[in-house]
Amino acid sequence: MVSTFGSLATAYSGLTAARAGIDVTGQNIANAGTVGYTRQRVTQSSVPAVQTGFVRGTAALAGQGVSVDGIARLGSLTLDAGLRAATGSSAWAQTRATALSTLEGGLQEPGKNGLATKLDAFWSSWGDLAAHPDDPGAASSVIAAASTVASTLASGSEAVDDQWSTVRSTAATQVGQLNDAATQVADLNGRIRATLAGGGNANELLDHRDQLTQQIAGLAGGTVRTNTDGTVDVLLGGNPLVQGDTVRTVELAGGARLADGEPVSLRWTSGSAGTVPLDGGSIGGALTLLAPASGGSGGALAEASATYDRVATQLATAVNTAHAKGSTPTGATGAPFFALAAGGLAAQGLSVVPTDGSGLATRNAAGQLDDSFADTLSRLGTATGGADRTWATFVAGVGSASRTAASETTLTGLALTSARTQQQSGAGVDLDEENVALLSYQHAYQGAARVLTAVDEMLDTLINRVGLVGRG
Amino acid sequence: MITRVTTQMSIASATERLQANAARVAEATQRATTLQAIAKPSDDPVGTGSSMQVRKEQAAAAQYTRNADDAVGWLATTDSSLRNAYSVLTKVRDLTVQAANSGTMGDTDRDAFVTQFRALRADLEATANATYGTRSVFAGSSTDAAAYDPATGFATATTAVTRRVGDSQTVRVDTSGAAAFGTGDTSAFAVIDRIVADLQNGVNVNPKLNDVDTAIDAVRTAQADVGVRHAAALTAQDTLKSTGIALENRRAGIEDLDLAGAVLDLQVQQTTYQAALAVTAKVLQPTLMDYLR
Repeated sequence: MVSTFGSLATAYSGLTAARAGIDVTGQNIANAGTVGYTRQRVTQSSVPAVQTGFVRGTAALAGQGVSVDGIARLGSLTLDAGLRAATGSSAWAQTRATALSTLEGGLQEPGKNGLATKLDAFWSSWGDLAAHPDDPGAASSVIAAASTVASTLASGSEAVDDQWSTVRSTAATQVGQLNDAATQVADLNGRIRATLAGGGNANELLDHRDQLTQQIAGLAGGTVRTNTDGTVDVLLGGNPLVQGDTVRTVELAGGARLADGEPVSLRWTSGSAGTVPLDGGSIGGALTLLAPASGGSGGALAEASATYDRVATQLATAVNTAHAKGSTPTGATGAPFFALAAGGLAAQGLSVVPTDGSGLATRNAAGQLDDSFADTLSRLGTATGGADRTWATFVAGVGSASRTAASETTLTGLALTSARTQQQSGAGVDLDEENVALLSYQHAYQGAARVLTAVDEMLDTLINRVGLVGRG
Repeated sequence: MITRVTTQMSIASATERLQANAARVAEATQRATTLQAIAKPSDDPVGTGSSMQVRKEQAAAAQYTRNADDAVGWLATTDSSLRNAYSVLTKVRDLTVQAANSGTMGDTDRDAFVTQFRALRADLEATANATYGTRSVFAGSSTDAAAYDPATGFATATTAVTRRVGDSQTVRVDTSGAAAFGTGDTSAFAVIDRIVADLQNGVNVNPKLNDVDTAIDAVRTAQADVGVRHAAALTAQDTLKSTGIALENRRAGIEDLDLAGAVLDLQVQQTTYQAALAVTAKVLQPTLMDYLR
């Protein structure tokens, strides 16, 4: 038998444990909608009876009540890691699919606003000029159609330029976010280590840090390594971005404009210098888009720009070669039709030389009207290796790439949904479950209070009623 | 197998499913309103290539049709000019026969004949200078102001004037004036001039009938040649018409959607979306809170 008031202490421990349970349940319910919150549970254990010595050593004794050991965080490191990996690959695919969709939208193909139709109109205008070589109307429609082709090429090329710059500046902003997140992770690492060392509860800090490491995974992929002191290391390409409470910074280096043709990469700005290889994340996706052109296998945007240039060059060469064979009404032979500005992108420097019929090759060497030159020009559109063929191949290529990227996005999106569902299945708050827990803690509290009443009444009997038999 | 289903999970997956349904409804709506099977290249990369090729062929066919129409117009003008020339020369022949059979003529009669011959010669000259649009039909590639100049004869053309009516088919539209009306002393104009001179000199014009017949033959030969080319241009016109229809069918087959199919698809997607909304509203409502008191 323990001390007289021992049972009161036991009942009190029950009250405390129930109240702790209700507090934690309250915290769970309050955070049912909080993004990144991981549900918590009170861990409690029974207190064994005290050995009181040899006199009563063999007597059966009840335990000493319950002790609240801590508040457990019911997350799973494996599921969290799965979610991070899925976030990284989904963000990577999403970035690429969005950019490719924008790129193919800008082509305006197939349809009457695309370059293919503009080229067809240009070739047809030569056909009309062949039928009416002396008609100033036919001549000006050739020049107008050529100007339309030139401006379509220029605006298409400029749109790709702009898109490249937009993707690059977005990536630069994301690198800033990456550095911020890394700094915060390092800071939280320090606080968590201190809290845990002091025996405190760092659950909410852990939630916050998990959110940040997930954000880092979405930005740049990478891996997270958990240490025994409660801190985590974040590794990018095998090298630590965050290690304990120290952090390294990165920056976007390389070409500032598409025309520079330099690769854009992520580099360490502190510690040992070097390029950071990225295996996922939106920055990783953006870097693949920003890569310079290399014979069709380079970055999508640079390849698009190179194709616009190639179309412009092929067009100018083929038309000028055919046009130079004829004579203009003023008797000049070898007159160019298209001019390419020296330097810069060919697609943006294409211009039409003649301003009216006097600059068009509608005559033969004898100065008579000759439709054969215009007829040859009208048939260049179907030539193999011509600008039209290059353009058609490019459009189909962009279409396929965009289609592949879109289906990749769908797949990684499904993987992300599945990973998030798995993770939420373990870590998410279920209101039904919390209600049941609340009920059971409430009853536990009521029960403990009832025990307290029973002990109180027992003591009352002992103190106030014992030895009063027979008194009036 | 997931054994624990949380409130957050149900809400997240319900949102995701509704989003996916809404996206499908939006896509079906777009298809049904535009009736385009290929709105962007990634919808069908191969179809995009075919579509661009068909549009190119359509543009070429439209161009060939315009060329064929032009060729038909040009050749019709040539044909009617040659018919006109033929009737003028027939009148010249009739008049020559009349003049040869008139025996001794007085000055008045002779002057009447001469005036008629000169009028017919002027007619023939006008016919030789017939134009189609801005071009003289008998001048070919020449840039001279008129096809026939009384002083220098017909303008010389260095190349043929052709119209392209197919990928590998062209129709020549010009007719050599020199071939149809003759050149120098043997030209129809010179023949009339000689008849007039003979009349004025009192020489019998009967032997000149042979010259007139030669000129008439030349015109008829030219007419036959134009007729053959005219027929070729007309055939090309017909062929291009059916080619145009075939190409439009091909384009529609690649690019356009069947209205009934598109509308039905939209209806199915809408029904699915509404069902998803109704189910989600029912599933998300209850928690244990509703039953505890």
